[in-house]
Amino acid sequence: MLRLSTPALTLALAVAAGAAAAASHQVTTPQVRAELVAHAPEGVSADKPLWLGLVIEHQPHWHTYWKNPGDSGLPTTFDWQLPAGLQAGEVRWPTPKRLPIGPLMNFGYEGRLLLPVPVTVPASFAADRIAVRLKADWLVCKEVCIPESGEFTLELPSRAATVAHAALFAAAEAAMPRDVAGASASARVDGDLLAVEVAGLPEAWRGRELSFLPETAGVIQNAAKPQTAWNGATWTARVPIDPQRTESPAAMPVVLTSDREAAGLRVRLAVTTPWPQVAKPAPLPSLGAAPAPSGGAAPVPPAEGLPSLPLALVFALVGGALLNLMPCVFPVLSLKVFGFAHHAGDRRGLLAGGLAYTAGVVVSFLVLASMLLVLRAGGEQLGWGFQLQSPGFVAALAALFTLIGLNLAGVFEFGSVLPASLSSVRARHPMVDSALTGVLAVAVASPCTAPFMGASLGLAVTLPAAQALLVFAALGLGMALPYLAASAFPAVARLLPRPGVWMVHFKTLMAFPMFATVVWLVWVLGQQAGIDGAAALLAVLVVMAFAAWAIGSPTLSPKARAGFGSAALVLMAAALVWAAPSFRPVAAATPGAGERWQPWSPERVAELNAQGRAAFVDFTAAWCVTCQFNKRTTLGSDEVLAAFDRRQVVLMRADWTRRDAAITAELARLGRSGVPVYALYMPGAAMPRLLPEILRAGDVHSALAELR
Amino acid sequence: MKKSWITLAVLAIGAGTASAAAVVGQPAPAFTATDTAGKAVSLADFKGKHVVLEWVNPGCPYVQKHYNAANMQGTQKAATDQGVVWLTINSTAPEHGDYKSPQAMSTWMQGHKAAATATLMDPDGKVGRAYGARTTPHMYVVDPAGKLVYAGAIDSRATSNPADIPTATNHVKQALGELLAGKAVSQPTTRAYGCSIKYPSAA
Repeated sequence: MLRLSTPALTLALAVAAGAAAAASHQVTTPQVRAELVAHAPEGVSADKPLWLGLVIEHQPHWHTYWKNPGDSGLPTTFDWQLPAGLQAGEVRWPTPKRLPIGPLMNFGYEGRLLLPVPVTVPASFAADRIAVRLKADWLVCKEVCIPESGEFTLELPSRAATVAHAALFAAAEAAMPRDVAGASASARVDGDLLAVEVAGLPEAWRGRELSFLPETAGVIQNAAKPQTAWNGATWTARVPIDPQRTESPAAMPVVLTSDREAAGLRVRLAVTTPWPQVAKPAPLPSLGAAPAPSGGAAPVPPAEGLPSLPLALVFALVGGALLNLMPCVFPVLSLKVFGFAHHAGDRRGLLAGGLAYTAGVVVSFLVLASMLLVLRAGGEQLGWGFQLQSPGFVAALAALFTLIGLNLAGVFEFGSVLPASLSSVRARHPMVDSALTGVLAVAVASPCTAPFMGASLGLAVTLPAAQALLVFAALGLGMALPYLAASAFPAVARLLPRPGVWMVHFKTLMAFPMFATVVWLVWVLGQQAGIDGAAALLAVLVVMAFAAWAIGSPTLSPKARAGFGSAALVLMAAALVWAAPSFRPVAAATPGAGERWQPWSPERVAELNAQGRAAFVDFTAAWCVTCQFNKRTTLGSDEVLAAFDRRQVVLMRADWTRRDAAITAELARLGRSGVPVYALYMPGAAMPRLLPEILRAGDVHSALAELR
Repeated sequence: MKKSWITLAVLAIGAGTASAAAVVGQPAPAFTATDTAGKAVSLADFKGKHVVLEWVNPGCPYVQKHYNAANMQGTQKAATDQGVVWLTINSTAPEHGDYKSPQAMSTWMQGHKAAATATLMDPDGKVGRAYGARTTPHMYVVDPAGKLVYAGAIDSRATSNPADIPTATNHVKQALGELLAGKAVSQPTTRAYGCSIKYPSAA
């Protein structure tokens, strides 16, 4: 045997160790054995699954950390070197454990762990083998903590399957927190607690004791045990907020774990109330000496940029008046124009009608606003236009418009339908009629967030109830004002033509805008409840039209009316029973990857901004006519889209057609309560730049010009 | 319903003793502790001055990162040169392997040419818990009125690699710079990183 001197032996060993470390797929320390592994069951090529992963086998009682490590510790980090074109995705973190250490709490893993990473392979990939290099850093702790790192290499054949660790990858997949379809999670800040509510958890989980593990670090007191309860299918928790909180997320992914399951459940928690300030607001950064912010620790006051109350009242008044110009108010306005012609010459009747209409409008605004405030106080995720997020309401509105249209077209007359006493009341009290028209106008107009209205509404929902109602009353008054003025001043009324036979034709003509509105409502329902829901609604409308004709036609004999009428009622009942289940919201179809507009998520925006890319978000809803107008015009124009492409701005759509807690929360953060909202999220800016609700190409260009 | 209120009250009391952590923007919790020479030192002694609190454990690799690169000592010196009081606090429990006696702690600080105003021993973890200190290092700044104005990390790069120090934002330097210029702290809280503080397990 060769005898080496001690220094020479040390050197030889060091070289050997170095060589081994540089060329191996394994690194062993006194605390862990770490190994780079791969899983490619169909070889390596485009569209075939390719997984890489780091196995960490901990010595007993040692642990490494989850993506949110808890009170101390650091998550394991990966630095990949892959062949050109291959891209490593995000680490898929298995469900972690709570690891208490004295009064502190960590989240992490013990025993054997695999952290899998998905890899995408480009279509152009053609090599026979791939070589993978990884530098990983992990912090391993027992009572003491040791930062360790390892460099790994691995070669894989492209044309053969790599499945040696299939069982490990399968086990890791089984331990991955599952997304729960149909679960909804929201939270309110309540003093120093976060009041969490999660609905729609799987049946088997109900009644179990759950732990609350946020993926976002620096928000809650990790060691505190929240007070939790089950109310039927809803899990609630009162989670203490970290007094030294560093993050103020509008949405926060959370993993709920149970001792009886390897895999937790992952829900996205929408935080609906603004976070309290951690400390006094910082003064504006002085010019030239702006400190580099890191981690976005400074909370942004959500009420920033909102007008004061008197200003909001003025805006509400002007905004309300402008509502009359919105396309969604037009059918109702046509009813009123008809009313004008009817009462021409009867000044007192006109004025009384105008006042009644105003009262109807203002009262309905107040009723809707009170409902909104009451429901929001109860923790519901609602915003302005919420009534149109319910398919049932949309269906009822479509039925109402169909009836009005049929009546105007002369298919039936109310006189034959309503009991004599009631129709005489209506004739004797035209003011009741006017007031009801006002109610109708509000029901249809409310979703159109006219310019000036957005900020007023955003303020209104954050104000004390009395002041908020004042803003909504001003909005209603503004909307009724032009009509009220016309009915009060004879000069305006005299401009209208005299009554005559033309009125009959005009009445029939006005039936068509009503039917056009029905088309729009059916389309909205189709967005919410799918094509089945739309078809069911159309079927109900047909049966209803038949019933209206059978019962209300002035030309049918009493005998025929009785026969057709009873048949119609039976059909109507059958149609309603059959159709009602179709008016339920269905899951939104996710657009394909190739589409220009991606679905919005706050995480994706943050990710893009972190990569230095800007994102433009279109907060929209099918029932919002202004939104649809902008979508077809400005946002549909090739020139505007090309401008976005030049700046590499990612386009996203946040669809509020159905209720969505995360969107409501983001709108609240932006100080808005209705759609449309157009926001350009720029890297490094806490708040996005908001663009006007009536979007013109120039607005987009000037916003894009601010991007570096 | 009644029952859940009782549970809540019990939990609130429990939470109170477990972590009545200091709140940024509120008065900093008062404390008195003995320094490595056995002298009693109170936060109240320094009313009218800016005070930095630094949690330390010489056995922790993240403390070593900042001491071996002389980053912590440099930050201490820059602060004390401007009249700021710097209290280094060790909350390691005596039963833990990382525990150092007052004597050994004093020697370690001197050996690293530390520039702290005083090094305090907190073997029962009382001061650490009052501040909600979780990691070593964990940094706090108290303003002359006795208000807590900063809580969090020493700097912006949460790694154990000393090579990251030059490119990181030193949050304590930044906060002191802003305070001494009469401005509010722009980042009043950050996420502290490092080893868990080795508090006594039964408390």
